[in-house]
Amino acid sequence: MPMRFNRALGALGAAVAVVAIAAAPASAQNTQGISDKTIKIGNLGPFTGESSIFTPLNFGPEAYLRSINAQGGVHGRTFETVFADDACNEAKGIAAAKKLIYEDKVFMIMGHPCSGVAMAIKPMLDKEGVPWMGLAANPKLTRPTVPSMFSSYTGIESGSAMAAFALTKPGVKKIAIVQHSNDWAAGYCNPATDYIKANGAEVVISTAMERGSTDATAQALQIKQSGAQAVMGCLYQQELVILLRDMAKYGVDAIVLGALGADFNQTVQQVGNPAAVKQKFFQPYQFQAKIGTGPLKPYRELFLKYLTKDELPKSGEPTNFYYFGVPVGIVTVEAFKRAGPAPTREKWIEAVESLKGFETNVFADTANFSKDNHVGFRRMFAVGLNDAGEETVYSTWGKPLPPSGS
Amino acid sequence: MILSQLVISGVATGMLYALIALSMTVGYRATTVVNFGHGDIVMMGAYAMLFLAVGVGMPFPLALALAASGLFLFGFLMQRGLMAPIIAGPHLSLAIMALAVGYALRGVARIEWGNDILLLPRPYAQNAFLLGPVVITMDDLVITGSVLLLLLLLFVVFNVTRIGKVIQAVFQTQRGAQLVGINVPAFHCIMWGAGTTLGTAGGVLLALIVPLTPDMGVWTLVRGFAAMTLGGFGSLHGAVIGGVLLGLMEKLLGFYVSTVFIDISGYLITILVLLIRPQGLFGQHATLRV
Repeated sequence: MPMRFNRALGALGAAVAVVAIAAAPASAQNTQGISDKTIKIGNLGPFTGESSIFTPLNFGPEAYLRSINAQGGVHGRTFETVFADDACNEAKGIAAAKKLIYEDKVFMIMGHPCSGVAMAIKPMLDKEGVPWMGLAANPKLTRPTVPSMFSSYTGIESGSAMAAFALTKPGVKKIAIVQHSNDWAAGYCNPATDYIKANGAEVVISTAMERGSTDATAQALQIKQSGAQAVMGCLYQQELVILLRDMAKYGVDAIVLGALGADFNQTVQQVGNPAAVKQKFFQPYQFQAKIGTGPLKPYRELFLKYLTKDELPKSGEPTNFYYFGVPVGIVTVEAFKRAGPAPTREKWIEAVESLKGFETNVFADTANFSKDNHVGFRRMFAVGLNDAGEETVYSTWGKPLPPSGS
Repeated sequence: MILSQLVISGVATGMLYALIALSMTVGYRATTVVNFGHGDIVMMGAYAMLFLAVGVGMPFPLALALAASGLFLFGFLMQRGLMAPIIAGPHLSLAIMALAVGYALRGVARIEWGNDILLLPRPYAQNAFLLGPVVITMDDLVITGSVLLLLLLLFVVFNVTRIGKVIQAVFQTQRGAQLVGINVPAFHCIMWGAGTTLGTAGGVLLALIVPLTPDMGVWTLVRGFAAMTLGGFGSLHGAVIGGVLLGLMEKLLGFYVSTVFIDISGYLITILVLLIRPQGLFGQHATLRV
């Protein structure tokens, strides 16, 4: 019996030792990617493929990190970015994230805009405790809260803002939903639908428009027949342009609220018909001022100074996607400042959770995180063209914000 | 009103599909090889036009002529340098080669034009007309008119001229054509070039109504292939009728059943035709080995 007891005790001891050994690397990993001189950051995004139009979301925060490096970094460490391409494809994204975490040994992943991939790598990030400061819109990424994952805005804020703005237009009670059949679109249109139903309005038609569509005749005529007064267009830019064009073609008298998969100015320009967009097309707007003006002007200079020719638009000005990415860079850097000269993942996470009323000078809202809330920004406006055809930021229907100056 | 609007819109869209199917058919009739990179050639035609008309600032007709000529040369050289050396091999090798060229073109487009969504300015006013309750736009008229003109031209070439007889001879039997003195390899190159030129025309017409992205060739290929399958491989009028039927099917099913059908109509047609009537509506009974 004592022999058997000793054997059991030995086995228990061995098991404890195995658990301790297994736990030890996890503890050691919480400074992974930190050296005396550098902090290694993973920048994961769709650098190739049909979603690569969203790479400016990755370049915005990168420009900010480069500007911080030019000032000497944080606590004597500069940021070293490792780019990884997920092509907004789940299989590629998992492989890219594994490479960042296990081969490149980054401290964290930042700026990631692809919802589907982010959902796919979420269990890995959670298990390894890798911080993720992302731009992907799917609300399920950070609701309920995952210890290491933080979002800037999610589709709940943007989708609700789309619906809320539409419902401030007098008489709007019937809404149509037009969306891509993917996680990204659901991330916007589902919260919009919830908001519409919760506020006494009705979704009269919900219809799909897939990537690569060249025509929206069927959708436009369905909207017209349904009598919808507003349309939630959870579409990427290419298809949003086509929907707006065809709604004008068939005389559909409804306003269209686009999601954040399109650049407002480019969309207006590409529709090429002022009557189709003036007081007809609006988007949720998260910035303090018009792009490149007022408090956003220094960021325009920052993009032009720190991004390479290949990272900037081939023609024209940096779009709102560049600006949209910057606050995750600002929050990331601020958390490193607050985490002190010996940062660990735990300290960095605590530092993010300590941000209250933190001003980024980019978004209209201040950053507010806590242990129970990992979505930093909530307040949104709407942008559209006024009667004179000028880009205008509205708080509600017909109420423009005062100009912030240029 | 809605039915007539859907039919008009379906025909206009279908004419575009018809042109793309036709451009694939021209290459297929010459070589009996389906060019699975053709969608990306259509895309390249659109970007070539954008480069010449917007980047260089050429007048629209001159830019169109140069883009078409450039893509003809590309098609000619692609056949001569990449397809001809392996043409005696299995069809799978040819299909993979065509796919690889398509992917390479997409990569080139992405390097050169980045990730921006670009637009080709129309050389005409974007007007709309009312035909009773039905709306017809200048885009509809330009696309339908251009495709009808090209069809007329092809009809004359294929049915009235000596070139048409040569094409028919090579399509029926390449060895026989060689025996009567036709330079079949050169003919292949010219026809492949003609297919890419027609693809360029399709790309330019498409670029008038859709913003350009390097990935626009993917769905183009699906639609073109579906129209070609429906009409019958190798049949020119079949490609046209297949394209128009596909356009109509997308619009009618999309409105009356579900908009989901707009995206999957091409795949459904391909599956059903290959299962039920592999030779399509007007094609010859033949087996395509890919």
